[in-house]
Amino acid sequence: MLAVNQVTRVFQNGKAGFKNVSIRLTKGEVVGVLGTSGCGKSTLLRVLSGLDAHYQGQIDTTVSDSEHDFGMMFQEPRLMPWLSVWENITFGVAKKQNRDLAIDLLQTVGLEGFENHYPKDLSGGMAQRVAIARSLLNRPEILLLDEPLSALDAFTKMQLQDLLLSIFEKHQTTTLLVTHDIDEALYLCDRVVIMRGQPGRIQTEIAIDKPKPRSRGDAYLAHLKEEILRELDFTRV
Amino acid sequence: MSSQSETAVRPSVERRGKPNLNPFTSNLFIGSLLPIVLIIIWEVASRNGWVAPYLLPAPSVVLEEIVGMAQEGELWGHISITLYRVFAGFLLGMIAAAILGAATGYSRIVEKILDPMLQALRAIPSLAWVPLFVLWIGIGEASKITLVAVGVFFPIYLNLTSGIQGVDRKLIEVGRMYHFTSLQQIRKIIFPAALPSFLVGVRSGLSLGWMFVVAAELLGASQGLGYLMVFGQNTSSPELVIGSIVLFAIFGKITDEILKRIQTRTLRWQDSIENSV
Repeated sequence: MLAVNQVTRVFQNGKAGFKNVSIRLTKGEVVGVLGTSGCGKSTLLRVLSGLDAHYQGQIDTTVSDSEHDFGMMFQEPRLMPWLSVWENITFGVAKKQNRDLAIDLLQTVGLEGFENHYPKDLSGGMAQRVAIARSLLNRPEILLLDEPLSALDAFTKMQLQDLLLSIFEKHQTTTLLVTHDIDEALYLCDRVVIMRGQPGRIQTEIAIDKPKPRSRGDAYLAHLKEEILRELDFTRV
Repeated sequence: MSSQSETAVRPSVERRGKPNLNPFTSNLFIGSLLPIVLIIIWEVASRNGWVAPYLLPAPSVVLEEIVGMAQEGELWGHISITLYRVFAGFLLGMIAAAILGAATGYSRIVEKILDPMLQALRAIPSLAWVPLFVLWIGIGEASKITLVAVGVFFPIYLNLTSGIQGVDRKLIEVGRMYHFTSLQQIRKIIFPAALPSFLVGVRSGLSLGWMFVVAAELLGASQGLGYLMVFGQNTSSPELVIGSIVLFAIFGKITDEILKRIQTRTLRWQDSIENSV
């Protein structure tokens, strides 16, 4: 689906960004990218999504339609403040043919009845739900999530993690999830890539062999978390 | 997936407050209290001869003059020609400002070419244009309308340019994720995002338009409210001058109110103090 081959994007004289990153995603796979701040996780997504074109290396995708290759969800909802919830969800997509899917997504994210509200009247969690629905309506073949839940409180976060999980299940979207929340990565992903350093490099990859949905307090996940913490090794920074 | 735990910050989209039913505490009443008192004092002062009536005639005299002219039909010609000049100039200035402001806001190169020159032109006191315009396009309507257009142009141009340059990069990136063309970017993101500052510019442009129409009519016209003022001055009839001032105030207020309504209606989505009631 997506093959990233030795891609490098550095700035500030090689002090920031990432170097020689290679990742492969198969169809329907959810891969997490974990790393300390400043290791180039977000830059990686910006490069993949095409927002940053100044990189070296090779990025190959096997998508059928380049118009719908990547969907991106940002750390902030980035809704258009002048559009209602409904108009935001259908933003950028030809309206008529996607009406049914849009209604379906509105239900999935639990926002029926809020179609005509403006973003200023939404709570942070609700705004992020709108952003989730918007990024899915375009039916992207690869979904890029840039710390989508990091600005939310713990309870809303868990709710939306469950929402994402049900969406992954339902739409079988290939997903690359950048996060700094180890529990989130363990809860949602099939595989976790760990990056560290400045510029960031891939340290290890850890597969999570546990069917979803998983229990948040699972012993196996706790064991993996310990392993990841050892890999990240904050004392070595 | 339940949304029960999250409630909307505000329960409904409709949030216009109930109309204030008590006539003695309504905004209209409180706001008109001081003007009414002042007008009464003025009336009394003029009637009792405390001020010379040939300098400051009583409000009732001013009103009589306006009503008299309206009944004779003479007033309507003056009002309509002034309104025509303001609207024609306003429209012209707004269109020019919208085009040039959009171009400088959107394109760096156009900004570098155009903006220094326009900023320099802005520094010229607007009335300095009058002799030139009269020379170029004569003393007729065209020169007056052009002068109004020049006045309207700059506030709109400046606000639109800074509005476009201030559009959030993060929103533009959303458009790039959809592979928007430049035109789509402008239409779907840049224009709506810059609309608030554009409307601010339109409102201050209109008030400048009124100012410039007075200037144009004071300096050479045979009709219009500004001409009435000059006429009143030359014939020592202060009621005519004050009457014209009052009419300018009324029309200025009405047109600004129309724009203000348009502004609040189109900007309901803004998270501003005005919308939070």
